[in-house]
Amino acid sequence: MELIQFIDIDLTGALLLILIGFIGGMVSGFIGSGGAFVLTPAMMTLGAPGIVAVASNICHKFPKALVGAIKRHKYGQVDVKLGLVMGVFAELGMLYGKQVMTSIKDRFGAVGTDLYVSVIFVIVLAIVGGFVYRDYRILKSHPHGEEHRLTRLARWVQSVHIPGTMVYFPGAKAKISVLFVAPMGFATGMLASTIAVGGFIGVPAMIYIFGVPALMASATELVIAFIMGLGGTLFYGLEGMVDLRLAMLILLGSLFGIQIGAIGTTYVKDYQVKLTMAVIMITVLFSRLFYIPGYLSQLGLIEPLPASTVKTLKMAGDGVLALALVLGAVTVLTALIRGMAEHRRQHEALSENQGIAE
Amino acid sequence: MAEARTRWTTTLLWGVAVAILYWALFHFQDDIVRLAHTTVDACLVVENGKELYYHKPTPETCAAKGGTLIKGNWLNVLVPIIAAFVLSYVHGAFTSMFWDTLGLKAANKKK
Repeated sequence: MELIQFIDIDLTGALLLILIGFIGGMVSGFIGSGGAFVLTPAMMTLGAPGIVAVASNICHKFPKALVGAIKRHKYGQVDVKLGLVMGVFAELGMLYGKQVMTSIKDRFGAVGTDLYVSVIFVIVLAIVGGFVYRDYRILKSHPHGEEHRLTRLARWVQSVHIPGTMVYFPGAKAKISVLFVAPMGFATGMLASTIAVGGFIGVPAMIYIFGVPALMASATELVIAFIMGLGGTLFYGLEGMVDLRLAMLILLGSLFGIQIGAIGTTYVKDYQVKLTMAVIMITVLFSRLFYIPGYLSQLGLIEPLPASTVKTLKMAGDGVLALALVLGAVTVLTALIRGMAEHRRQHEALSENQGIAE
Repeated sequence: MAEARTRWTTTLLWGVAVAILYWALFHFQDDIVRLAHTTVDACLVVENGKELYYHKPTPETCAAKGGTLIKGNWLNVLVPIIAAFVLSYVHGAFTSMFWDTLGLKAANKKK
């Protein structure tokens, strides 16, 4: 028998969660990916066990993903078939990942899931943050970017013909074996069940391995996110791990923030978005890193640390996370305010010139 | 002018709907928490006036804690799923109208 505690939410706590959701939403809208990589650690910092934070985050995301998928489908950006096929395998990955998480909870308790989620966060954010930073440098030196070109890997994947497994995907404009799609979908779902962000695998896989254009990949990811989010809420809900209050307070702030973030991107250059994303990812990584010794100590996997050391490390982790949130909020709001002012100036100058011409 | 007033009124009505839903969520938060915990078999222990839920207990382990054994009901899982859909839809519609009404719009062309 295992004690599973949801955090107490008073008015201050509720306002804090709304604020965190708001900033997470802004970051999410700005960088065009789920803000869950900020939200899951923030929920854990407030005291939610890792498994509850992940489950509640998955619950807050899936209806948003559905709305986003429908919107972008209207613009013709979604490869529904690829989304559904990857979604089915992502669901299996989600189920397997949930099993891993619950096994850890059953064996090591809620703190075991804290450690598991934190370690995966650190590894994933280091890898993805590194790639995003590389993209930033490339985009900065070639501001106009390159047209969508197939990677060598995507060309090879599209050239492989395995009878009985080939499916035509309109997004890739090619037939691809399901045997390539299945593991990518599975890994996407498994990661989502662990840190509530599957897009870190799904989107790059679609772009670099299947040859789907970036815009279409991010839109198709919403279909996958909805399928696995719905499944994830069901699987984790059946374990009694979804804290609806937590999920809905985050949603309350997030839906306000996401539109500000999305509008903010239209006023900045692509490389600025990438830099923001990389900086926030690395900052969040360090916030989780500070917690790991405390979890190891609690589990008896290292020599017990003095309570004062654990407290100091926790404070450092909280501080770094707060820094990440402030950094995200300031970056997006500054971009938006400056961009809107400049846009207004350009608009006025254009109107004046037109007046003179007439 | 009349169009702007209608827009504000519609936004306000959606805002009221959001407020009611969130009020309900917090008014019934103890029930919601209980429903989540009792999706699986749970042992309810009251310590210092605080309700603690232990998951997947046996009658013996629960009795040892002096708690009350509650049989889980898997149908409780529908609560977060339905609530997430409803709140997301209503609140999503409200926020979209809210920013539109305030005049926050995307740039026509990316710089």
